[in-house]
Amino acid sequence: MAPVSLQSVRKAYGEVQILHGIDVDIADGEFIVLVGPSGCGKSTLLRMIAGLETITNGDIRIGDRVVNDLEPKDRDIAMVFQNYALYPHMTVATNMGFSLEHRGGSKSEIAERVKWAADILDLSHLLDRYPRQLSGGQRQRVAMGRAIVRNPQVFLFDEPLSNLDAKLRVVMRGEIKGLHQRLGVTTVYVTHDQIEAMTMADRIVVMNAGRVEQVGAPLDLYDRPANLFVAGFIGSPAMNILGGTLEGNQFKAAGVTLPLPAGITATGPASYGIRPEHFQISPDGLPATVSLVEPMGSETQVTMTLGEHVVTGVFRERVAARPGETIRILPDLAAIHLFDAANGQRIN
Amino acid sequence: MRTDLSPRLRVALYGLMCVLLIPFVFPTWWMITSSVKPISDIFAFPPDLWPRRFDFSTYSRVFELQPFAQQYWNSAYIAAIVTAGTMVVSSMAGYAFARIKFPFSNAIFMIVLLGLLIPSEVTIVPLFQMFLGWGMINTHWPLILVPIFGAPSVFATFVMRQFFIALPGELEEAARVDGLGRFKIFWTIALPLAKPALGAVAIFTFLHSWNLYLEPIVFLSSTHMFTLPQALTQFTDAYGGAMWNIQLAAATMTAIPVLLVFIVAQKQFVEGLAHTGLKG
Repeated sequence: MAPVSLQSVRKAYGEVQILHGIDVDIADGEFIVLVGPSGCGKSTLLRMIAGLETITNGDIRIGDRVVNDLEPKDRDIAMVFQNYALYPHMTVATNMGFSLEHRGGSKSEIAERVKWAADILDLSHLLDRYPRQLSGGQRQRVAMGRAIVRNPQVFLFDEPLSNLDAKLRVVMRGEIKGLHQRLGVTTVYVTHDQIEAMTMADRIVVMNAGRVEQVGAPLDLYDRPANLFVAGFIGSPAMNILGGTLEGNQFKAAGVTLPLPAGITATGPASYGIRPEHFQISPDGLPATVSLVEPMGSETQVTMTLGEHVVTGVFRERVAARPGETIRILPDLAAIHLFDAANGQRIN
Repeated sequence: MRTDLSPRLRVALYGLMCVLLIPFVFPTWWMITSSVKPISDIFAFPPDLWPRRFDFSTYSRVFELQPFAQQYWNSAYIAAIVTAGTMVVSSMAGYAFARIKFPFSNAIFMIVLLGLLIPSEVTIVPLFQMFLGWGMINTHWPLILVPIFGAPSVFATFVMRQFFIALPGELEEAARVDGLGRFKIFWTIALPLAKPALGAVAIFTFLHSWNLYLEPIVFLSSTHMFTLPQALTQFTDAYGGAMWNIQLAAATMTAIPVLLVFIVAQKQFVEGLAHTGLKG
């Protein structure tokens, strides 16, 4: 186990800047998730930590060593790839023991470590099989087994669940988290799935266009997004964002005037954010025309038009309204997010 | 092929295939049957599909008229060395062109490919001059070196490159994280996975070397140094007339390894070319 520190890390391909100076400190044993849309640079950053990409500028430290110029094998890391990258011509046992074999481990030591990892991941009965004879979930577990067998200082995961179906993804999410809790190894995990990020991370690093937008605990990001990008990216369904103007204790948007909590002194153009579950149905609420009702069982998701804005509400109660009908909704004033219209940064 | 064909259509298709087989099977059949006919029966009209008289002495005469066993060995060991050499050169060169970034790699590969456009008849005289200068005329060296570093190897390099390009990059990256250097990645990861392509390369290289004709007649002059295709032309009587039945007996023995290779490795050959995205 070791802390990982990224200091002003930059990456450029020729004139094209991919990462614009990333500063993140990852504590020893922490599970950190890099999340962001496709092309934001999160996988590139992970590959730079692994040593599979060169660093244009800045420093990466693992433990107390600057590893910028070290080969991947010398960084004491293990990586789980998106497509598992299992060697097709080797059995599960050989795949798992391969790195130890090339580091000069004795046969008995390798067998012992492979057995230990296989027991943890419930792979003992599959050790003689080839990757082509395994299901997606089993392959994923072998890939994890190959990583843990070496007892590295840092685990790196590059979108490891993206090839699995939704049900298996939930199962494997739990297994990875359980593995981390058991081994306590510092983990950097890349995903574009914000639900994965929310459920697994000790802290999340939200990235966009090669920059870090916000770093924080999952619920901190959810409750107090630092800017419009994080507000829109974290949460599903996404936060409703309405453009308009702050005027006194009201927010005037196209076709609707929304109430504000006390103490807002800012005025002028802004964005008003409210999460779908922070609307409530109330006879004192604002009129909204229903366009789509999606009952989920435990809750109901309603798409509606508020003024001239299409918004989504999620209600615990069952909503009987039909498309075209009007319901009255009230925003929870304690859960409102206001953002500067010019730079998108949080105001309240 | 679809398996839900009606019985009638199936019979018709098999019938058509049998008819289409005739032009391909007949020459081989004619070669084998004529090799055991007396020479006077070979050109009988209408031709006999089954020999009227059998004369197996043609096979023993092949060995009396020429040092055929020596020539057989010459062809076999030259083909084996050429095959092994081409596999080594083409797999390493193909891997380098596919997976290693170096300046002008694409341009260099194109120049290498241009070698395929030059017919061997064009280069044979300069090659003769070169090997003459090296004192290698009437040795087997030209028959070994020319294919390993010439057009057959270029084609093999192309096949291997196509295979290695399709190999997932993540496998190599995983190997790097596992502690392997470039050569070990090639040796322990890429090469074992390239077996189908290597198999295809081995088959067509072996066949090419086994059938090589122009180079032996240019570079070799002693009968005991001859390879089989060249030796086949030497079964003539005192007046230069071909001794057809003996020649065909020698041709039948020459064709046996080729047929065996195809029968045993046909699947591998087709799969290998399919893996590289090339058509067979």
